[in-house]
Amino acid sequence: MTSARVLVVDDEPQILRALRTTLRGAGYDVATAATAEDALAEAAAHPPDAVILDLVLPDGHGADVGRELRRWSAAPILVLSAVGDEQEKIAALDAGADDYVTKPFSMDELLARLRAVLRRASPTTDPVIAIGDLVVDLEKRAVTLGGQPVTLTPHEFELLRFLAQNEGKLLTHPMILREVWGPRYGSESHYLHVYVSQLRRKIEDDPARPRYLLTEPGAGYRLVDPLLTRS
Amino acid sequence: MRANSSERRDPKQQLAALATSLALVAAVTGVVFAVRSFAPVLSLGVLYLLAVVPVAVLFGLAWAITISIVSMLTFNFFFLAPVHTLELRDSANWFALAVYLVTAVVVSELATRLRRRASEAAERELEAKLLASVATTLLEADHVQNRLKDVSAQVADAFRLADAHIELGSLRSAEPGERAVDLRLGDSFVGRLYFPAAEELPAVAEERTLPALASILAVAVERERLSRAALDAEALRRSDTIKTAVLRAVSHDLRSPLTAIRAAGEGLERADLQLDHEARGELVETITGEAARLERLVTNLLDLSRLEAGAASPRPELWTADDLIGGALETLGAAAARVIVRLPDEPVATVVDGAQAERVLVNLLENAAKFSSADETIDVGASVEAGELLMRVRDRGPGIPPRQAGRIFDAFESSSRGTGMGLGLAIATGFAQANGGRVWFEPADGGGAVFVFALPAARLPAKVRS
Repeated sequence: MTSARVLVVDDEPQILRALRTTLRGAGYDVATAATAEDALAEAAAHPPDAVILDLVLPDGHGADVGRELRRWSAAPILVLSAVGDEQEKIAALDAGADDYVTKPFSMDELLARLRAVLRRASPTTDPVIAIGDLVVDLEKRAVTLGGQPVTLTPHEFELLRFLAQNEGKLLTHPMILREVWGPRYGSESHYLHVYVSQLRRKIEDDPARPRYLLTEPGAGYRLVDPLLTRS
Repeated sequence: MRANSSERRDPKQQLAALATSLALVAAVTGVVFAVRSFAPVLSLGVLYLLAVVPVAVLFGLAWAITISIVSMLTFNFFFLAPVHTLELRDSANWFALAVYLVTAVVVSELATRLRRRASEAAERELEAKLLASVATTLLEADHVQNRLKDVSAQVADAFRLADAHIELGSLRSAEPGERAVDLRLGDSFVGRLYFPAAEELPAVAEERTLPALASILAVAVERERLSRAALDAEALRRSDTIKTAVLRAVSHDLRSPLTAIRAAGEGLERADLQLDHEARGELVETITGEAARLERLVTNLLDLSRLEAGAASPRPELWTADDLIGGALETLGAAAARVIVRLPDEPVATVVDGAQAERVLVNLLENAAKFSSADETIDVGASVEAGELLMRVRDRGPGIPPRQAGRIFDAFESSSRGTGMGLGLAIATGFAQANGGRVWFEPADGGGAVFVFALPAARLPAKVRS
């Protein structure tokens, strides 16, 4: 298999250099850009398999670059954001970015996220989704954990279904609310975090240390296979 | 407070005065006609005062004098010989009529004066009421500007204006259809009162009420300026103290990881050093470990400066204790393995900024990890007591001597027990308070320390559980 091509967009030369070295060491084919304009030109000339995108660029906003890329490229976008950028992070995710890491990030974390976004296919159409010991049967609307049936309320099931169909993908609160409660959110939608806590009590061994249903602070939730994450 | 409205040249009013006067004079004439056989006619002239006095009270001195003369002529015409003429036969009658006229005028003057006094008293009462209510409104105000609308409404009400508004320090000239009156205190300009051009201010307003109003407004504005200045001075003093402490702390706590990173990096770089695989690994570990320590310090400093600047405005959302504690354990890293969590059977929730609440818990957990040995467990529990969600973090370290317990929440209070800038607890308290919560310390049974993070508990509707 030829190595995946990753476009790294950041205006800090030190970060660009560190990422280029490490990503090459990890076997990726790396291209870099320091401005929004360069990034779009490079992506057009040599379509990347994935983009690592800083949110703050000298000639524009990273979220706008993401939105522009999304118009003609399906390559997954991994956003780099600084602490305190929560609003911009959400905006970037809503503009089509697939995931994010917060600066300062660990290289392990960045590589794991990059692998995950590259591996992820389009949402599965298989009616039975197995994630670790968790099996979600969309046709029978039944859930089992390690072979044992799990009883869920209708909202809890919808929540789990949506997360399972997007295994590994970060789903923002608005995405979840739109999907589970519909375009006009119901009044219970304020209680998303409570639904998640209840769902965790049913599918996690230790709800305070979730292995399947992870919280991304200030952004949303993702459902992961415990054996595939935490590299 | 419309004092002289009755004396204004209002045609309707004038017509009423004329009709009333004529009716009264006619009535008295009738009475005199009826009783003239019982008393000397000349002595009955005084009865016309019964017409003059009410007119004086109701319509003022000018009308009273007119009616005095008219009634004198009427008396002469109907009752003094030769009757039905305005001539007089007897010189004694001249004298009687003159006495009557003088009496009528004097009585009228007295009556009008009395009336003016009464209306002045009413005016002063209204004025006092207005000023008192304005003063009360402004005293209650945290911001004079916010209450100007209320004050303007009170003024409009008292002056019976359809509309009025006050602009502080405004030099805007009146727009078409509008009139403006300056509010001044001595020579200094306070603001302007605007009202519809078609309306009139009461006569006393400009000379008495408005200056009083201006002085109340000026006092309120000054009071606000002074309290803001005092707040600014306090904030400045605090930020100065913080800056000094930050500089002191930065010089030590930031330099030591930097020194370690630099030494390890340079060691790796030098070709002449004989480093085996293990030694290289150690140097690399130093760099990553110290970088992580620097990161925590920088995060803490940034948090603190945001808190001190009042910039850490919370974005409250409904969160469960599960989520907050889970998030904190995630952030805590390696030390999370020592933590034992006890959650209630049903999720308990609070409305809080998730990231900030997590920060509080992380700092409490880091504190617990720092002050107890690595093989001891840390307990975290959540419960709802008396409407509060309490999250308790308990360590099994040596605890905190009572002497120190009061100061541990101050920024840069270096503990005798360990390293670090002591920022963690100050930040925890800051974020807790910004979210309407509290953090306090309790000694633990059997040694160790318990830190409690309390937030108002949220009530969950039953349907969420179904």
